[in-house]
Amino acid sequence: MDQSEIINLWKAYDRKLEASLMLNKSNAIEITRLKTKSLLSSMTPLKIFTIIVGMLWVGIGGTIVVNLFVHAYASVSPFFLYSAAFQLLLTAIGIGIYLYQLVLIHQMDITDTLIKTQKRLTQLKSSTLWVARILLLQLPAWTTFYWSMDLIKSGHLPYIFLNSVVTLLAIAVSLWLFINIRYENREKKWFKLIFEGKEWTPVIKAIELHKEIEAFERE
Amino acid sequence: MNQEEQFLEMLENHKGILYKIANAYCRDAEARRDLVQEMTYHLWKSFGNYNDTYKHSTWIYRIALNVAISFYRKDHVRKEQTDILTDSILNLKDTEVPAESDQHLFLLQQFISELREMDKAVMLLYLEEKSHKEIAEIVGLSESNVGTKISRIKTILTHKFSTFKNQF
Repeated sequence: MDQSEIINLWKAYDRKLEASLMLNKSNAIEITRLKTKSLLSSMTPLKIFTIIVGMLWVGIGGTIVVNLFVHAYASVSPFFLYSAAFQLLLTAIGIGIYLYQLVLIHQMDITDTLIKTQKRLTQLKSSTLWVARILLLQLPAWTTFYWSMDLIKSGHLPYIFLNSVVTLLAIAVSLWLFINIRYENREKKWFKLIFEGKEWTPVIKAIELHKEIEAFERE
Repeated sequence: MNQEEQFLEMLENHKGILYKIANAYCRDAEARRDLVQEMTYHLWKSFGNYNDTYKHSTWIYRIALNVAISFYRKDHVRKEQTDILTDSILNLKDTEVPAESDQHLFLLQQFISELREMDKAVMLLYLEEKSHKEIAEIVGLSESNVGTKISRIKTILTHKFSTFKNQF
């Protein structure tokens, strides 16, 4: 079948459609009356809520930690101070990513060219993977904040040893995940275990499409 | 004529575009119905900001293809929003579905559906005999790049047809 035959085939299909396709006007009118928000704007309230909660957490926590650093450094456990500061810093970065996503949502224009719109949409989705990496990086902070200098000085070796093992494991796991949570590992069993499900499948597909668009532009 | 009437008139004049895109991106009837609904919804939402420097068809293709390409990321949120209407917006008058009435057409549609998301869009626009300039405006590539893509996709399509012919 050559090119002109293919085009003629499509034209014939077009004619058949023209003759038999009917627009259900009452349904189309109903669409114009809908007050529901689009998929993207429906994502906004949840993100704004997360940002507000995160900012409160970082703001209040940050104020307390900074005050402790400045005014009570000698009397507060340095383990608590540095763990809390680390956790707050990573939460602040997470909030930064959410803010970036809000900017992308705000810039989204469905009437723009396919490449521009789809790139923004896929960037929006794939940046969610970064949030997971950042959040998992916090893991060690939750195993060290309750340590104290008294514990070290007490010389209670089994307890110190056990806590150190847990912390080292948490560091190793969070670093490993931070490095390895990448699209390239999507077929690995551990990756599927963490990221399979309703929330993550669209993220992985978005990254897939992003790569496809990049290749499409290059080809 | 108020905005709603203008929108319905535009939809009536270009309803085939929505059907053909939905058919290329969704082979499942229920998903296709949802996709047409979502495309209509986004067209209406953007209708107030219609930029008349573009033809109606160019504008519709941009929105409808953008929605169709994003549609595979369907999740529960989207499902809730697209299940508002129980009936289809577009219906075929007779029971004979054009897509299955002709073996070649059926094959062509199958080959199109096998293409990658962006190639599929270019292919549909090529079959609609859109100019390279218009395809470039819709997709966001340069005209020369569009030319290269079309000739590559045409080769794929012709090859698929000849492979099929040789098999049977």
